[in-house]
Amino acid sequence: MGEDGVTIEFLSKEKLTDQQFDEKLDIVLEKVQENAVLVLEEAWTPEEKSELIQSSMEQVDEDFPGVEFLGLDAGNTRLDKAKRLVYQKFLNEEYRRGLTIVGNSRVMEKIKEEKDTVSFLAKLEDESN
Amino acid sequence: MISRLKKLISNLFSGSGKDDIGIGIYGPPNAGKSTLANQISQDLTGEDMSDVSEVPHETRAVEKKEKVTIESEDGRTLDLNLLDMPGISTNVDFKDFTEHGLEEEQAKGRAKEATKGIVEAIKYLDDVDACLVIFDSTEDPYTQVNVTIIGNLEAKDIPILVLANKTDLDDADPERVRDAFPQHPVLEISAKEGENIDKLYEEIIERLT
Repeated sequence: MGEDGVTIEFLSKEKLTDQQFDEKLDIVLEKVQENAVLVLEEAWTPEEKSELIQSSMEQVDEDFPGVEFLGLDAGNTRLDKAKRLVYQKFLNEEYRRGLTIVGNSRVMEKIKEEKDTVSFLAKLEDESN
Repeated sequence: MISRLKKLISNLFSGSGKDDIGIGIYGPPNAGKSTLANQISQDLTGEDMSDVSEVPHETRAVEKKEKVTIESEDGRTLDLNLLDMPGISTNVDFKDFTEHGLEEEQAKGRAKEATKGIVEAIKYLDDVDACLVIFDSTEDPYTQVNVTIIGNLEAKDIPILVLANKTDLDDADPERVRDAFPQHPVLEISAKEGENIDKLYEEIIERLT
């Protein structure tokens, strides 16, 4: 968190495309522990999300309680599933249309998720104590 | 999916305790996983298998009950190893436990154990043969944690039965669970009251035999 606010950082898909997932995860967890909220222009797979949970749990301590994250993913229609399959089988990469938002759970509150809309309240430090 | 089915069929006819089908009970904290595990275990063995509490993260390590035999109305049986998983969440703040009356040191210890339990539960996703994914039907089930649990199981082709729990409560709304995960069948239960547990056994046997 800045002196009197929350830093929200947007990472474009161009920046993310060339990075391995482990690298992205390290960057995300480092910045989240500095209380930034990251908006990534890509969807994460369920396996990657569980790695995020696992890695954040391994870093939990008295000052860092873990993360909150939100995802706006491509849907579950047959067309979406077909696109995912084509990307995985023929292009050997993940279909990443969507957004992933990750932040420190002491910063992100009142999270609301629907399939096509997400929202949260970014909490200022002095209000969280 | 085919290899998993072969493994299940092979397990069914092997007669070896080691090869019994492992069923994991997954879900977020306080969804009723341990209440369900105890309901099944009491029903079939006369013993509890997990402690239950209003304080989140009461189960902080995987609890196992081996060789639990369920039987359908038509006499089919299935031997299971039942695995009560720690609740999966994205954060564990020791301050939440102090709000439930725990001393600070106690709360910090509980938080540490809870984080280890969550990691263990995630690692077990590679070892279970089938899963009961249980949600509190008084809460909104469409959360990233729940989507992540279901998505991981789908990616691994692990058979899933979704349970909308706490139907004994006035504000239960199992339809929200159906709407959140329309790709899976949903069984309404009250683990606390034992409602629809016989139906649960039928569903498990129907899917795994």
